[in-house]
Amino acid sequence: MQSILAVDDSPSMRKMVSFTLSGAGYHVVEAVDGQDALEKAQSHAIDLVLADQNMPRLDGIGLTRKLREDPKFKTIPILILTTESSDQMKQAGRAAGATGWLVKPFDPNRLIEVIKKVIR
Amino acid sequence: MGETYQEGAGADFDLSQFYQIFFEEAGENLDQMEHMLLDLDLEKADDEELNGIFRCAHSIKGGAATFGFSDVAELTHQMESLLDRLRRHELQPIPQMVDVLLESADASRSLLARHQAGAQDEAPSTASLVRRISELAAGMVPAQGASVEPPKPQSPPPPPPPPAMQAPSPVLAVAAPAPSGARRLEVRIGPLDRVEQAEAIKELFRDIPGLGTIGDLPCDDAQMRLFAVETSSTDSDLLDLFAFHVSKEQVRITAAAGSAGGAEDAQGDAEVAVVPPGEAYGFFSNAPGAPAPEAVAQAQALQAIEPASVVTRIVPKASAEAKAGSQAQMESTTIRVDVKKVDQLINLVGELVITQAMLAQNSLGLDSAEHQQLLAGLADLDRNTRDLQESVMSIRMIPMSIVFSRFPRMLRDLANKLGKKVEMVTLGEATELDKGLVEKITDPLTHLVRNSGDHGIELPAERLAKGKPEHGTITLSASHQGGSIVIEVKDDGRGLSREKILNKARERGMDVSDQMSDADVWQLIFAPGFSTAEVVTDVSGRGVGMDVVKRNIAALNGTVEVDSSEGYGTKVSVRLPLTLAIMDGMSVGVGEEVYILPLSSVVESFQVNAEDVNTVAQGSQLVKVRDEYMPVIALEKIFQVPRFDLDKSSTIMVVVEAEGNRVALLVDELLGQHQVVVKNLESNYRKVPNVSGATILGDGRVALILDIGGLVRRARH
Repeated sequence: MQSILAVDDSPSMRKMVSFTLSGAGYHVVEAVDGQDALEKAQSHAIDLVLADQNMPRLDGIGLTRKLREDPKFKTIPILILTTESSDQMKQAGRAAGATGWLVKPFDPNRLIEVIKKVIR
Repeated sequence: MGETYQEGAGADFDLSQFYQIFFEEAGENLDQMEHMLLDLDLEKADDEELNGIFRCAHSIKGGAATFGFSDVAELTHQMESLLDRLRRHELQPIPQMVDVLLESADASRSLLARHQAGAQDEAPSTASLVRRISELAAGMVPAQGASVEPPKPQSPPPPPPPPAMQAPSPVLAVAAPAPSGARRLEVRIGPLDRVEQAEAIKELFRDIPGLGTIGDLPCDDAQMRLFAVETSSTDSDLLDLFAFHVSKEQVRITAAAGSAGGAEDAQGDAEVAVVPPGEAYGFFSNAPGAPAPEAVAQAQALQAIEPASVVTRIVPKASAEAKAGSQAQMESTTIRVDVKKVDQLINLVGELVITQAMLAQNSLGLDSAEHQQLLAGLADLDRNTRDLQESVMSIRMIPMSIVFSRFPRMLRDLANKLGKKVEMVTLGEATELDKGLVEKITDPLTHLVRNSGDHGIELPAERLAKGKPEHGTITLSASHQGGSIVIEVKDDGRGLSREKILNKARERGMDVSDQMSDADVWQLIFAPGFSTAEVVTDVSGRGVGMDVVKRNIAALNGTVEVDSSEGYGTKVSVRLPLTLAIMDGMSVGVGEEVYILPLSSVVESFQVNAEDVNTVAQGSQLVKVRDEYMPVIALEKIFQVPRFDLDKSSTIMVVVEAEGNRVALLVDELLGQHQVVVKNLESNYRKVPNVSGATILGDGRVALILDIGGLVRRARH
């Protein structure tokens, strides 16, 4: 079973994402912010990271940057969840090494569709 | 509920299961936002504070949009936009912004409450709030940059506004003229079940100054609506906005025929993969993990194959930084549990305590040499039960900050209304109290704080004239004292006027004298109806509904005391038991029965002499205790206790006090003081007059806990 690290500071979003992905047959590890995600990524085998952009302590782009510094996470897909699909955000995401982005609000089917495109 | 977004979500996902958790989360976010807004120093607003407030709005917006509460999402979106500009230092925070954000937080709260209650009727409009926020967000915008977005590197610098940008002929302009750099677009919305849904899009343009203009274009498809739009916002910004009302798939944005400005997002940035309009995700080309064009098909094909199993390693890891007070840490170390479950647990532990007490009592007669092991086990059981009870009770304990946190806002509004300057200081917010008590103490405390702000604190000019600082201070403090919690509301206002209270009492025909101690005089304000404007000041008076405050606190087995000094301020102290589930009681025997008196209401007990008891009209009796006459209540008569030993008559009296009045209870014997587990009689049996609950004694018998307030009222009327 593939593992997805779902990072969001909002408990309801986390639950929704986790429920959706578990239902689609993925193992979901939840983290409450970027800092927590860094720790969880070290202690779990992770196949994909789905991170909210705006979080306390460490945001999605910061998390991506940190993860990419570690050879273990050089190639895993990292998707950023964002409410603002501005070019600025995209540039920053790309520069940090993110794989792609998904705009909130999204519906659960869309989430699975996107995940299936990148997880291997 | 959730009709807006569910449509796109497909039948597989019922998002409503996440509503409750979202409501709680949004409530917490709103509370936090309010708190931070009130703490915000406008002169030198901290980046971290602004970011924190922004994040609260942002989180609520994200959740509300996801779960389909579009009204909340729209309002919080506006708040977020304003906060975004603030945290980017594009705007300087001003009091009006704090005001409108606080009001919007309130409005969001009530919208959420409506969703939570499943209200179907017309929701209150937030249009004026939305307009005020966007005015503030736009009001200080530099002349040529009406868009909230910072200028994009790729887009040409916006030219000065052309004198008149003519909209296509059928356009009905409904908003302010489009700002500079405007593009002319055609927006096709649909197919829609109800074409009226698209009306909301038009309202967006009406509500958000600077967004541009919108007008109807003729459309041949009955399920579609076509609009001519003039705007300087990007397509993706428009899509984000429209997404509050229709799903993004239902929106198509194209450049209007003959328009110079195209749909610039479609070209995008060279670095960034192309997002077709309406697409809500994307991958960066050549980014790690990004799918190659054929990988998409491959990935789908992989789904058919059994997914490879990945073993999850879970390495226990001590949390390196256990930062107390860190929101994130709290999140991962707390769980939400239904109060009912906790109550059930407390109930079961209560039963266990009773069983343990029974075992202890029954083992008293056992020979300690013969039953050494049994007795040692019972001693362990005793200790463990007590520890267990304590731990379980602590689950229900919540910090007083939950109550205190509502007051700064209330005082701010009150002070604004009255033209006063009030500062609030809170101490001991971490002091914990039973959840049930916290809920019940909130109203009386609100009353006390409002009284302090309203009647205690003087107007700034008056304070200055008295040589006091312009700002009045109200101090709220909580602390544990023995088995009780003491909550104090203290102000440095004008204080109570002894003279006026005495005058008022005389007017009302109350028995008062000038020799009364201050404490006794202050107690007068708790008399029912002792609430007139001229009690304390010429304007209005302390004592508004103080009798109600006192009654509510007494119902929690608590007491209220007032201390005041004219010209210097007033302090009201509320003393409460830590929990309602356990009570310190005094057990008294009447005939074969045992009754429990709440220890907090017991004043004294004594052996009575026959000559001190006088019988007055209708056989009722009065007893003289140190020159004070008080009614006597014979418990055996009230509860009709059968008496087998007819020669014996009660000679012990226990003086109890409630609501400022004392009565003497006639009992046979005093049995002792101990903690009792309170069982609600109403939910297990029915309401019984003069009884507030029941408990089970060590020997397994049921003892009734007396309602002292009820007994006192009975004797006084």
